[in-house]
Amino acid sequence: MTSRARPFLLVFLVFSVLLVAQAWAHHNMTAVFDFSDRVTVTGTLTAIDWRNPHTYFTVEAKGAAGAIESWQIEGPSPSFFRVRDVGKPDFEASVGKTVTVEISRARDKSRSGLIRTFTLSNGKIVSACPQNC
Amino acid sequence: MKISAHIAVILTAASLCFAQNSGQVVGQGLSEEAKSKDVAEARAKRNAQQFQNKASILTFLDRYGKRTGQIGQSAMYDSAVLSPDGKHVAAIKQDLDNETFDLFVFDVATGAEKRLTTNARRDFAFAPVWSPDSKRLAYVALRAGKEAIYSQSPDGQGPEELLYNNPGAFLDLSDWSLDGRFLTFCISDIKGGDLYILKLEGGPDRKPIEIVHSDLRIFESRFSPDGRYLSYMLFDKADKGEIFVRPSDPTASEGPWQISDGTSSPGFWVDGGKELYYMARDHSVMAAEISTSPSFSFKKPKLLFREAVPVPSDLMYISADGARFLVSPPPRGQLLQQITIFDRKGQVVKKVGEPALYSQPAFSPDGNRVLVMKQDIKSGQRDLWVVDIDTAKATRISDDTRFKATPLWSPDGKYIFYSALLDGDWPVYRKAADGTGKEELLFRYTPGAFVGLSDISSDGKFLVCESGGVVLLVPLTVSDPSARKPVDYLRDEFANETGRLSLDGRFIAYRSDEAKPERFEVYVRPFDAAKPMDDKKWQVSKGGVPGMSNEAVVSTLYWRDDSKEILFRGQELDSDDVVMMAADVETNPTFRVDAPKVLFRVHGPVEDNLGAVTRDGQRFVLTINVPADQTEHPAGGQ
Repeated sequence: MTSRARPFLLVFLVFSVLLVAQAWAHHNMTAVFDFSDRVTVTGTLTAIDWRNPHTYFTVEAKGAAGAIESWQIEGPSPSFFRVRDVGKPDFEASVGKTVTVEISRARDKSRSGLIRTFTLSNGKIVSACPQNC
Repeated sequence: MKISAHIAVILTAASLCFAQNSGQVVGQGLSEEAKSKDVAEARAKRNAQQFQNKASILTFLDRYGKRTGQIGQSAMYDSAVLSPDGKHVAAIKQDLDNETFDLFVFDVATGAEKRLTTNARRDFAFAPVWSPDSKRLAYVALRAGKEAIYSQSPDGQGPEELLYNNPGAFLDLSDWSLDGRFLTFCISDIKGGDLYILKLEGGPDRKPIEIVHSDLRIFESRFSPDGRYLSYMLFDKADKGEIFVRPSDPTASEGPWQISDGTSSPGFWVDGGKELYYMARDHSVMAAEISTSPSFSFKKPKLLFREAVPVPSDLMYISADGARFLVSPPPRGQLLQQITIFDRKGQVVKKVGEPALYSQPAFSPDGNRVLVMKQDIKSGQRDLWVVDIDTAKATRISDDTRFKATPLWSPDGKYIFYSALLDGDWPVYRKAADGTGKEELLFRYTPGAFVGLSDISSDGKFLVCESGGVVLLVPLTVSDPSARKPVDYLRDEFANETGRLSLDGRFIAYRSDEAKPERFEVYVRPFDAAKPMDDKKWQVSKGGVPGMSNEAVVSTLYWRDDSKEILFRGQELDSDDVVMMAADVETNPTFRVDAPKVLFRVHGPVEDNLGAVTRDGQRFVLTINVPADQTEHPAGGQ
């Protein structure tokens, strides 16, 4: 592989570095998510699944027609947050409150996506970059 | 950014204190502040190891492959590019502690270094290209999640100019046209790639022009000097790269033309576009004669040179006159690996065959053969081999360019199981251990997800795998591979890996970072494949196993076949030495563990494999580094 392509590889061939020990990047994110299709979802955080290989968040947001739509949002593993001074309690404190999440939308155009940044109810911004960006 | 695989699992004798006898795991007893400090120290030590193992000095070769000079200090370099006037080199340097990649410019004559970017933690700069007059540098930066192309004066004077905001990701900037009017870049992901040119007239809202889309990944597009053609690399689904050329006019109907027969570098236009140079997969520098008038044609590439060392350097850049080659020599020098068998005291019992680029050795169940990953120096290809310990006769198991991982022997020694990267996925296969027959697909996991093998039940009915910190069980009892569905067996918020079953199948040992981030400890739980994971668990090690590392495969746990001993290995944070340890255990009537003991240590780094210990726990196989220039057959061919 060329040296110049390595930044690219970092993002979606993370396996080599991390397959051993970190539950960081479970799958090639570009297989499921389109990194060029970005959506910002603002709504109420209603559920958290804080387990490997990925965290999951449910955000209820008002759609274009005014109806409430449920977005399933995938985040990095708990281990990712664990070494970044961000923990489950930070997200739990936002449950039932308004959050804003910038995501790369799923390729199948379902209401799901991969976190790029997550703005908690207290205004704290949690970034999933660089690996999700 | 250098991506490769190795293992680091470390326990120092001094740091060990042990979970004695039976009992549930309790916390480490450290305050949050102490834990944070401990994690930071572990990471710093690991970074120092990684630097030592990865750093190199940028080196110039002449067109005969002779080293003519070096530039800069030892560092983790990427994307080194020589300026058109030959006076400067732009390169990306990785800062492991800050997790950044920044752009630096070096004066070729004096070696003086100028830093051009200072990114925030976890922000990157990468892919620099020089303007044709050597007065500007363009590069990509990923900052706060936003990717953009910027330019700047190479002396660092004046502001950074925004050239293009990329609405997506994975932009690979690779050239600036000789007339100064265009940049070219590629954007690729698992679904394919696109090649673009960007007209520099206008502001940051410039719109790139798509030259070609492919279902395969495209990288490293470069303008021919007259701007009429673009060379680029195309990677197939098995990750084999080739150099192609096509017109830079997207409406043109001619081309593309495949120039290479396997490449490990981009193509570089040389001598005013009359030649195209590249490094073949065997590290030979090749030259293809090119004609672009009246239309494109080329002749079969010829060998220009091959660096006269056992382990050649990676090519980074070739000057437009074809006289200077910028390379990155192997970080730790000319090293090969010797398959070496040790006893429990660390005494060398036998050296098997000649040194080569070996890793991940594993004993066959009968202890007579060694499964090993070998990188062919000629082709650069990594394949699985089985080597007879008495005769050193080697049998090839695989022969392809795919990245293969986590090889295991079947319990009866008849098959080799492994996962292999194909089109972004990690299907799991098995193949006969005598090298005959075809590869058999066993199952496919979630698309794009890495899955590693860590054990096979003694009755062969299921595999123990891992993916993303989850221990999985894969039943093999159904005949249809598509019907073999992995079951999450141990899934929580911690990274749980390397599930290894006792021979009687009543217990599973694994490692986990449950106690502290950046550390891995060995745990044991009761096991019953028909039931959910038992909450009861015992901690075998206590003191930290920094399992995060850069190169490698899963590993480090071994049950002795009478289930009365667990062996595990670590790699010391300070020294990189490998430490082999063992703990006596009892499994009847319930589990009980004694304090582990250090058996021996060897100088590292050494890559790991789950089968590095014979079933009776008496022999250990490791691939030990030896200087290549001290071997009689440094090419390591079989």
